[in-house]
Amino acid sequence: MKRQTQVAVLATLMTATAWGQEVSLYGTTMAQMWKQETPGFDKATYTPATQYLGIDATKLGTERLSLHLFGWGRTDLSDASTLDGSKSGGYLSYGYLQYRFEQANAEIKAGRFSVNQTTGWEQVDGVSARTDLRGGFTVSAFAGKPVLYKTVDPVAQKDYEYQSDLIFGARVGWRSGQAAEVGVSYLQDGSKAAKDLTIPSSTDYTRKQVGADVFLAPASVFQFKGRTVFDIASHPAVAAGVEEPSRVAEHDYTATLKLGQQVTLAGNFAERNFFAYFAGTNLPSLFRQDDKDKFQGHGASLTWNASGAVVVVADYRHMHRETYGDVNRFGGEVRWANGEKTVQWGLGGHSVDATKTLVVDPAAPSHSLSHTEVRAWGMMEKGKFSASLDGILQTYKKDNPYLAGLSSLYEVVGSLGFQATKNFKVSGDLSYGSTPVSKNETRGLLRAEYRFGMASKGGR
Amino acid sequence: MARKTVLQVLGIVLGLGVLMACSLVSPETSFAATHPEGLGAGRPMCSDCHSTDVSKGALKPYAAFDHTPAFVKDHKYQANQDANSCAACHATSFCVDCHGGKVPMKPAIRLGDRPDRDTPHRGDYLTLHKMEGKMDPSSCYTCHGRANNDKCRACHR
Repeated sequence: MKRQTQVAVLATLMTATAWGQEVSLYGTTMAQMWKQETPGFDKATYTPATQYLGIDATKLGTERLSLHLFGWGRTDLSDASTLDGSKSGGYLSYGYLQYRFEQANAEIKAGRFSVNQTTGWEQVDGVSARTDLRGGFTVSAFAGKPVLYKTVDPVAQKDYEYQSDLIFGARVGWRSGQAAEVGVSYLQDGSKAAKDLTIPSSTDYTRKQVGADVFLAPASVFQFKGRTVFDIASHPAVAAGVEEPSRVAEHDYTATLKLGQQVTLAGNFAERNFFAYFAGTNLPSLFRQDDKDKFQGHGASLTWNASGAVVVVADYRHMHRETYGDVNRFGGEVRWANGEKTVQWGLGGHSVDATKTLVVDPAAPSHSLSHTEVRAWGMMEKGKFSASLDGILQTYKKDNPYLAGLSSLYEVVGSLGFQATKNFKVSGDLSYGSTPVSKNETRGLLRAEYRFGMASKGGR
Repeated sequence: MARKTVLQVLGIVLGLGVLMACSLVSPETSFAATHPEGLGAGRPMCSDCHSTDVSKGALKPYAAFDHTPAFVKDHKYQANQDANSCAACHATSFCVDCHGGKVPMKPAIRLGDRPDRDTPHRGDYLTLHKMEGKMDPSSCYTCHGRANNDKCRACHR
């Protein structure tokens, strides 16, 4: 969408909020500051100021019509903190009109919104609709122009806008009582494939995917859910003698079993074939679609929820990548909260064992992937005041080539807040840490959060 | 003349299609747009109150939406099938904290005063991503494959 069109649409939508009988405006203003001194580079001071702003206006003339806007803008008050050198920027995360029908959970959205009912998460400038049908069926569909995320190298993306010109998708689901839901979905991003360009491009930004998702709960103590995604786009034929890449982009399935009132066991299996899974990326230099590598992972977690106050989780995951080998991650976490949740703390740790990894790269031994991460945090509220402390320590094998001679990195973040009124809070964060780039790093952040109007939800 | 006939036939077919579609629509009243009561701090367990009910929006037991650690980690399944149930308590801005398409700072910095939230990339993730990316690049792809990756290009040209 052209900038002038965006401004006109945004202005129209903003004006429309005046019709709302219930208007909520909420925002967060943030000011950050840090200094950076990297060998070989000039000293720099960064002071970006960021403004998040959202508006929810409901009952726009009719009870069921609402408007939702959210976006952010930032400006650098000293050196540019972005890689492209710009000192200001902004983005409309979403801005849509929504009409909810009285029956069938039906709704229509128009504007910029995100969809996740098909094979992935997408941002669209367009229209979407959904409804429940008789017999347990549901149907949803969307169409529009995909929101394009341009990277800092426009030359590499010269065909991006041309190829990724249209996005649409649909999902049909069927629910049986409370025991099952199955769905089939289709997603197409782009109508002009790279092979159809006048000067064919090696980069294909288009996608055609079919997904199948499932939820099964045959008993109250057991759930099985997941999805499989297939790549159905046409690709150039592979050379004779070369193995055809898998068209299965993803299998991802989780089973959950409740053992009594307090213990839950969950197991997961995932497989992703990079050739099919990376289709449509706008960063093909990193997520290479010609890569026929494959990832497989399986793991389990055991959760003990003791009387709501204490939650203990132990987890394990085995990861296998065909070209690199095997990695095991294991660890756990303890969380505690008092009844009013005014005092909470957590303690967790995970270790990654990469001793069975075959190869990393010529400059890095396989054990360079092994590391341990420990995290402890606490937060409390007393009256109008709140405080939190969060510390994280990452330790690596000695002589890890990625750490510039260090063997452990850490970061501590302390925060103090004051809830001046029910709808206005100020807080400040101070962080101190050590990284391979800045051996000692101190960052400051001031935050003001406010909310006006009659918001009935927000999830915070 | 022929064009007029084609348009008439098309109009009749569309009209019949709309009528048929309307008769297929479920007559059930829609799920509540917002949760009728305010929820306290922390992760809610829906089944604490809705012990035996079935969510009208999702036709699933409310226990399927209990915000357990496993649910928080794998919430994509529910977001995929039951977005209207999520919307009863969460404004879209809550999702945008992480799923923003383009964000000015990593969620862990934005929510530095909320260590209880499971935000990605705490600590020095710039270093850690070199290892995580080798172990499982598909985990990066979910958020950075088609969005939020203008910083990636600085090195990954």
